[in-house]
Amino acid sequence: MNQDHHLAAAYALDALTPDERQRYEAHYPTCEICAAEVSDFRETAALLAAAASELPPPSLKAQVLAEVGTTRQIPPLVPEPVADLAERRRRNVPRPVVLATAAAAIVALAIGFVSLRDTTRNTTVDDLLAADDTIITQLDGGNGTVSVAWSASRDQVAVLGTGLTQPPPEQTYELWLLTETGAEPAALFTPARGAISAVFDVADIDSTGWGITVEPAGGSPQPTTPILYAGTL
Amino acid sequence: MNRVNPFNRDRRRSRQQTTTTPSSTSEADRAATLLNRSGRGDQTAFAELYDLLAPTVFGIVRRVLRDPSQAEEVSQEVFIELWAIAPRYDESKGSPRAWMATIAHRRAVDRVRSEQAHRDRDDRHANRNHERNVDHVSEEIITSLDHERVNNALARLTASQREAVTLAYYQGNTYRQVASLLDIPEGTAKTRIRDALIRLRDLLEVTQ
Repeated sequence: MNQDHHLAAAYALDALTPDERQRYEAHYPTCEICAAEVSDFRETAALLAAAASELPPPSLKAQVLAEVGTTRQIPPLVPEPVADLAERRRRNVPRPVVLATAAAAIVALAIGFVSLRDTTRNTTVDDLLAADDTIITQLDGGNGTVSVAWSASRDQVAVLGTGLTQPPPEQTYELWLLTETGAEPAALFTPARGAISAVFDVADIDSTGWGITVEPAGGSPQPTTPILYAGTL
Repeated sequence: MNRVNPFNRDRRRSRQQTTTTPSSTSEADRAATLLNRSGRGDQTAFAELYDLLAPTVFGIVRRVLRDPSQAEEVSQEVFIELWAIAPRYDESKGSPRAWMATIAHRRAVDRVRSEQAHRDRDDRHANRNHERNVDHVSEEIITSLDHERVNNALARLTASQREAVTLAYYQGNTYRQVASLLDIPEGTAKTRIRDALIRLRDLLEVTQ
């Protein structure tokens, strides 16, 4: 970790590799010296940005304000539910609290940069999370956080993620139902600003876990790239 | 580095008589007030905040991405993200400008790197990175007091420090890419970036 102390400048200029960035983001808030340096260097970088100021085309403002009118803001930060969630996991509490856990998971996801804009769709996500048999699996791998909430009785999943890397143009994320014998396509999704919160219908098959790959637009019948995120049911 | 037309600058300055100090406290306070109001859902405040900081956001995104239409697209995404997360803005973590510039630069760099990764998978386009050596500067850059102050500070760096900061911040390279572009060890690139930023911080009197 000692070496990390010298990364504040490169971090503030976004000049670290993704791995280093992730490691440093875990480190600097816990280190008084680094936190102060990051803060100063960000102000310095902002002056470099200000020096590059350029008037945007007038159409940009109209587009931004129109979209603002239909974009929900995330609620102010309430850190308690996360600790709460960890605590509940540790105590392995029975069924009725799992519903509260599902709600807390949403709050935890929202602590990243999540924009929730489709209220109808979010109601469905909430419904799914409130279903009696919903199983939430957090997937490992890749950037950001992604979870799959699956209800066997409804044959539906909600994919909830934040901080995801945008797939390149002409490509999409594909969710797979992992089985004893391979993978079955489950859903295609493209995050908006790294965030996804959407419900999909899935086939009624015995699945052992979830996997996510990047596939050409339109999806693939079988994964064509290595699995980026995976979680076991 | 010296790309400011002094005549142009003086003309602009005479029009801005009300601005006495660059990034004046009153401007930062106003931005903070507007951002706090935006965080409570006030769209009018957000429109005013846009007027105040859009040139910084668009300017840095455009500088990193170079392509104006991509810059417009990413800037729009940045502003919507800023609106969505405005309720989480914490003044103790930095000025509104630092907060917005951090997010804008991060998004621009993410876009450049995801496209690089995309291209790198495609052999035909290997070595495109060298294109990024060319530092296009728009004619329409707003000559402001910030601009002058920052350029004066940049001018007081060593040539190699200035080069490292430009490649990293304005062109969105990692320190490893900077090392490879300048053919220097990675440790040297890291140190150069760090020394340059410490110098700039001190010259620009940035302290929390």
